[in-house]
This record gives sequence, structure tokens and C-alpha cells, in this order.
Amino acid sequence: MKRIVKGLLLGAIALACASAFAASGDPEAGMKKSAPCQACHGPKGISVSPEFPNLAGQQEDYIIASLHHYKDGHRKNPIMVGQAANLTERDIRDIAAYFSEQKGLYVKD
Amino acid sequence: MPSLRFLAAALALSGLALSAPAAENTKVTLQNKLAQCQGCHGIDDWKTAYPEVYHVPKLGGQKAAYIVNALKEYKSGERNFGTMHAMTEDLTDDDMKQLADYFAGQGGAQTAEATPAAAGEKK
Repeated sequence: MKRIVKGLLLGAIALACASAFAASGDPEAGMKKSAPCQACHGPKGISVSPEFPNLAGQQEDYIIASLHHYKDGHRKNPIMVGQAANLTERDIRDIAAYFSEQKGLYVKD
Repeated sequence: MPSLRFLAAALALSGLALSAPAAENTKVTLQNKLAQCQGCHGIDDWKTAYPEVYHVPKLGGQKAAYIVNALKEYKSGERNFGTMHAMTEDLTDDDMKQLADYFAGQGGAQTAEATPAAAGEKK
């Protein structure tokens, strides 16, 4: 019985670590992977056109959610649907980590 | 349960927005409409509650034209998010422009990119 409890406990810890790891993107990898994004949204997330949103300093989980929404068809912008289609979960998290840590957007009161 | 909490907050906010303009010919001023935005977007670390949970986007320093487009898409339902659809239903194009200008204006790294000028050129 003790062994089972121990095993379960270890399993739970391993799972917690794995999900914590999955939750955080790598901004350096994101900088490289985001080359196609940068063409419109700017190298540091300040976009090149008034039609395209700035991403610099945007909430990381909002960027992740947006990319998911383009990928699953919930958001339909044709350019972004195409861009997001081939991104893996890892890519999405890395890209979101990169843009969210740039300086730009802020909470305006 | 977070959705209930959110609803309560939304109701409280819309109550505020509706009761205040009585002094001004019952016309809802832009200030009141802005207050609706700020009930979520003006609060650090505020999160959505339904159907997914994530931080609401920061709007300070965002491109005005992008904000206007987003508001139009929420209003038409092209961009499908219940809360923002409700918020945009009674916004006119002019309201959208003014709200967008408010959030896009002044400050942040973005001023270097001359967005206000670019928005002006479009007219």
C-alpha cells in the first residue's frame, strides 16, 4: 500500500513538473521562430502597418489563445489562419514568450 | 463559478454606465463607453472568465486602425466572443474611432512608430 501511495505521489510530481515545463515558452527560440511574424508585426513586435496589431508586451496567454483560435478556426483572419496552421504547441509558446517580453503595449488607465 | 462572478461584475459595471449619464440628457457619453472597456482592459492582470481563461489584451499603445477593425468584427459577429459582442453592440463607427484613438494615443515605445500620424494619413 505504501509503495502504491509513493508511486502515485512521484507520478503526480512528475506530471506537475511536465506541465510546468510545457507552460513556459523559450523567448530565444521564439525570436528565431517568429521571423515570419516579424515581417508584419515588426522585429520587436511593433507592427509595420496600422492594420496589424502590435504584439510587443502583449499578454503571453492572450497571444497563445489567439494563435490557438486561428489554428482551430475560431478566429478567421485569412492571413493569420495560414500563418498559425503549421505551428506546433511548442512554437506557439516560444513565439508568445518572445513577443510578450518586448517593450510596447501597456495597460492604459 | 468564475462566470457568475464575472456576470456580477459586468452587471455592476453596466449599472454604473447606465446610471451616470442621466445627468447628461440620458445620452450615454463616450466617457461611459470607455468605462465599459476599462472595467476589464484598465485593470492590471484582469482575466476573462468564459469560455476560456486568459489575460485580456493590453490596449495601451495598440494601433488605432486595428482596434477599430476588431471592434467592428466583434459587433458583426465575425469575431466571435460574447462579452465583446455585447460591449460593441451599441457602439457607432465614430465611438469606435474615438475609443481606438484613446487607447492608441500617447506614450509607450509605440510613439516612435508614428501610429497617430499613420492613422491620420488614412483619412
